[in-house]
Amino acid sequence: MRWLGIVIGAAFLLYPWLVTDDFYARTGADVLLAAIGASAWNILGGYAGQISVGHAMFFGIGAYLPLLAYSHMGLPPVAGVPLAIVISLGFAIVVGLPTFRLHGHYFSMATIAVAELVRIVIGNWDFVGAATGLMGPAVSRTWLDLSFRSPIPYYYLFLAVLAGLLLLTWHLQRSRMGYYWRAIRAGERPARSLGVRVARYKLYALLLSAAFTSLAGSLYSLMVGFIDPESGFGILRSVEMIIIAALGGAGTLFGPLLGAVLLIPLQTVTNSLFGGGGSGLTYIIYGGIIVVLARFEPGGLLDLWRRASQWWSRRRETVTVRHAA
Amino acid sequence: MLLSAREVSRSFGSFVALANANLDVEEGEIVGLIGPNGAGKSTFFNCVAGDIPPSAGRIVFSGTDVTRASAATHARLGIGRTFQVPATFEEMSILDNVMVGAFLRHHQRGDARAAALDVIEFTGLKALTEAPAKSLGTPGRKRLEIARVLATEPKLLLLDEALAGLTPVEIQEAIALVRRIHARGVTIVIVEHIMEVILTLAERVLVFNQGATIASGRPRDVVNDPAVIEAYLGRRHARDRGAHAP
Ligand SMILES: Nc1ncnc2c1ncn2[C@@H]1O[C@H](COP(=O)(O)OP(=O)(O)OP(=O)(O)O)[C@@H](O)[C@H]1O
Ligand SMILES: [Mg+2]
Repeated sequence: MRWLGIVIGAAFLLYPWLVTDDFYARTGADVLLAAIGASAWNILGGYAGQISVGHAMFFGIGAYLPLLAYSHMGLPPVAGVPLAIVISLGFAIVVGLPTFRLHGHYFSMATIAVAELVRIVIGNWDFVGAATGLMGPAVSRTWLDLSFRSPIPYYYLFLAVLAGLLLLTWHLQRSRMGYYWRAIRAGERPARSLGVRVARYKLYALLLSAAFTSLAGSLYSLMVGFIDPESGFGILRSVEMIIIAALGGAGTLFGPLLGAVLLIPLQTVTNSLFGGGGSGLTYIIYGGIIVVLARFEPGGLLDLWRRASQWWSRRRETVTVRHAA
Repeated sequence: MLLSAREVSRSFGSFVALANANLDVEEGEIVGLIGPNGAGKSTFFNCVAGDIPPSAGRIVFSGTDVTRASAATHARLGIGRTFQVPATFEEMSILDNVMVGAFLRHHQRGDARAAALDVIEFTGLKALTEAPAKSLGTPGRKRLEIARVLATEPKLLLLDEALAGLTPVEIQEAIALVRRIHARGVTIVIVEHIMEVILTLAERVLVFNQGATIASGRPRDVVNDPAVIEAYLGRRHARDRGAHAP
């Protein structure tokens, strides 16, 4: 298992040098970015079990502010990143406090409603470019603009952020916080009876989740250099984070990364095969994955793998016992 | 006095589930709470544990008014409870279930883990430490609930039919476990339909019927109390006449 980890880690580190074409390196960066978004969603939706379908709200704020800082004040886009996180945290508190009173589907529906409302407001607000959106610097003025022609610097920037996020998540999942999140997901009432301050721990999960989702949005617009209401705040953003996390395994450390490794290349292929009209196909693929996961594998692929290896080792044990007898 | 619940009432809509119930518990006691189905025993526990607020009345625990306090605050102050229908964290291992409880007093993972392992050993679940809670049957789940709440180090433990559904052998083991918990200095209020359990464990019994306290005293006296017999027999007559749906 340790060897497997080292090999996979090395593969991620060396990947841009193993591929010859920029296209593959860019796909690699897309995978890492999607993994950051899905891992951020996973803190609230996976570990704490609060299925938000409104995380595009934080992604969009993260994506817009860097380009706002550039287009209104001529600042390097990165200058907008911390402010985006602060605003996302503010939104998280305002949205979280009332919606956390809702349970299950009602919470999910409330988050959709708020995110869609934000999208509509942004699409009609001239200061943020209304329906047209915003552009980043066309050519890099200084290195601070973080506008590179090659995808490789983005790849390593994203890899560093993802590694930091996963390290933090790993630490939290083993701590009191992580246990309380899982207890809340499993049952709020028994969790309360054991002294868990449910509302507070849900809010912690939401704040962390919102901050990193916002960061994912910022990284997206730093790389792409363009944002509009649909690509920032569209519901497809939220759905993508959920599907990627659920496909690999929501509430597991590496599930979102696995989901991104599988889904993003698939999406890239279908988009290039079917041109711009690929997004219709994206909906179909997403829908298909939801149906299959809900029906057969609610735990995602990592859970399937875990059960398969348990079954295998048990089988081996019985075989050895039989041989011994 | 450890717990003093006075004139506690609770209604659901217009239905009065609990009407002016009283219970005083001294430190170190084991008090039994009995009564026919629907008498309001679980509702009373829910009020005392802060799970639902009483509609009226006053509950004081170790000198603190906890009438309106949250369930989490109750746990912090030292009131622990089990649920009549087990509410274990199904996907989590036995150890992780108990660690959730242990984290209340031990904030560091290592300390919480050590405390949880102690409790698991104490409650006889050691062989199942790594098994998921969902692999347990109902008796196992009830034992796990006891382990989990013990890990919060309660002063007062409310056991809601923690022994229901056990085989006679398991009941004897569970009685021994309750005794050991008591010997550790935990005060216990126990709801139980099995009279044998109440008669062997409780020093004092309280009888609920239709939300009100109808009798209290030593177990042997209470079971011979005409009002108590009527509460139980009346129900049986009603059922024999088919007046009650099952
Ligand atoms: N949340 C609720 N909403 C409506 N009615 C309720 C609720 N909880 C309990 N009741 C009703 O209150 C009455 C008392 O229920 P309770 O569970 O306290 O009885 P109990 O004494 O614990 O019975 P049992 O021995 O069957 O466990 C019952 O008639 C029950 O239907
Ligand atoms: Mg009950």
